[in-house]
Amino acid sequence: MTAILEASGLTKIYRRGREEIRALKEVDFTVEEGEFVSIIGPSGSGKTALLNVIGCLDTPSKGRVILDGTETTKMKERDLVRLRREKIGFVFQQFYLIPTLTARENIELPLLFSRKGERGRIEEILDMVGLSDRGDHLPGQLSGGEMQRVAIGRALINDPKIILADEPTGNLDSATSRMIFELFRDLNRNGLTLVIVTHNLDLARQAEKMYTLRDGQMAGCERPDLPGNGRDGRR
Amino acid sequence: MNFITLAVKNLMRRKGRTGLTILGVAIAISVLFSLIALNTGYEIELNREMDSFGAHILAVPKGCPYEAASLMIHGGVIPKYLNISDLEAVRSIDGVEVASPLLMYQFYKRDEATGQNNPHIVYGIKIDDMREIKPWWRVEGRFFEDDEKKVKVVGRELAEKENLTVGQVMPFGPHREDFTVVGILERTGDQDDLLHFLPLEEAQRLSNKEGKITTISVKVGDLGRVGAVAVEMEKIPDIQAVTMTQIMGTITNLTGSARSLLMTVISIAMVISAFGILNTLLMSVNERTREFGMLKAIGASGLDIGKMIMAETLIITALGGLLGTVMAVAGSTIIEGFVKGMLPYAPLGSFIHITPELVAFSLLFSVGLGIVCGIYPAFKSSQLTPMEAIRGGLE
Repeated sequence: MTAILEASGLTKIYRRGREEIRALKEVDFTVEEGEFVSIIGPSGSGKTALLNVIGCLDTPSKGRVILDGTETTKMKERDLVRLRREKIGFVFQQFYLIPTLTARENIELPLLFSRKGERGRIEEILDMVGLSDRGDHLPGQLSGGEMQRVAIGRALINDPKIILADEPTGNLDSATSRMIFELFRDLNRNGLTLVIVTHNLDLARQAEKMYTLRDGQMAGCERPDLPGNGRDGRR
Repeated sequence: MNFITLAVKNLMRRKGRTGLTILGVAIAISVLFSLIALNTGYEIELNREMDSFGAHILAVPKGCPYEAASLMIHGGVIPKYLNISDLEAVRSIDGVEVASPLLMYQFYKRDEATGQNNPHIVYGIKIDDMREIKPWWRVEGRFFEDDEKKVKVVGRELAEKENLTVGQVMPFGPHREDFTVVGILERTGDQDDLLHFLPLEEAQRLSNKEGKITTISVKVGDLGRVGAVAVEMEKIPDIQAVTMTQIMGTITNLTGSARSLLMTVISIAMVISAFGILNTLLMSVNERTREFGMLKAIGASGLDIGKMIMAETLIITALGGLLGTVMAVAGSTIIEGFVKGMLPYAPLGSFIHITPELVAFSLLFSVGLGIVCGIYPAFKSSQLTPMEAIRGGLE
């Protein structure tokens, strides 16, 4: 297997007034192609900071990120736009759907920016996220789980190399959360690489690999689906 | 889906705010539109009124100020007179084609319907001279002869107001003599519609001004000689010669300050409305930073977001411009009434002139307003880094 994402020595320092917040401290992190990875940790542990840095939404203070063979840390914003557009799909906790666009239009939205005309894929994706009969509904007419499915569909439309999800079930009840994770597992079985940040341990355990982040440092990596193979320590 | 549909759907998220912003633009544009329409229309109407007076030079008694002479073409009455002998002197000047004497006087008549005393204006004229000055005059019935007694011709509007018909006999003058309405002028669209026309001698008799005239309207054969003829006319002791150009200048001066005040009001209204739009846009951009972060995360560039904001702004101002133009056209008579009340000299006809050019201008202006107001918010939102945007931009 080849690594689709390699982060090494990632450090992220925010400044809030005079206070210096070290959100990430020398984090090394690798994701292989086709892997389903979860990152777990208490709030303030740096999960979101890590996701934003590897997703090219933020730049690290130190260290480097190689995504699909390209180093992103020193890229210009213009190239980062293209990278985000072509290789990364984002899913957020608050869904961030546009309320006056239908489910289908919300999924279609990234195509407007990538200037791709393949609208044929929209129906395929609606079907993939289990919303083929809900395409014409507005977000207000959908349940939380359905809204997150729309957001996942939107992340898939540009056929990304990797999906990054930040607390995708944070606003959902546990039954719905399990269904969303089921969907992630299905997508993963079809070959998609997934990195999911969560603080829900049960769900995190459904991933192939579960990283624990604590105080901005990698505290461990488990392979929950391989019994007997416990903690293998810091990578 | 394209940027326009996305912009429309975004605007529909805050219908109230969008509606109010559009209305704000509409009011500004309708004020701009009406005032420009009024201003151009005013010039056109003033020129038309000058033309309809028919003369190039007006001979007025010495000492009569230009302002009074200006009002005269409107039917104003001045209490100074020329002698009929001056007419011959003017006629003998080289270059004078027609010299038409005119005696004006005013009387008040109680209007039964409203109980008010309304002013009526009488013109005593020499009919052949007058018809040369105003060749467009048409009459229902007939014109009188200069030596006829107890006859008159009335303007169309006056006839309608007083229910006069051709052939009607009515008491007229201080001794309530029986006058016959021999003719009613076809509508001219100017002050002539409101006047009583009498043979000059009859007017002099009724007003006890035998041998007197108020003014002489002079038509010059060669327009290049207007100035020279006026100089010659001034040599007659009683006469002051006022050319139409001078009258125009006087009226333009009289109304100039009122009109520049109006223009200042428009400009201020425009600036206020521009800042209003700018403020609304900036507010909505600030509220939506997280959404822009999401859009960047799903592949939008800064330029894409700027384009989206720009499209939203342009939709608002274009719709506002459209609505404002419609409002201005629909409400033009109200605005005209208001403005007429403010101007010291207003032509009688409607002076709102709505031209395709003006409609195009106000629409283009509203689009321009959109570009000016949208550029900063669009730039600002496009400059946000995804992280600033995601975290809400302002920390």
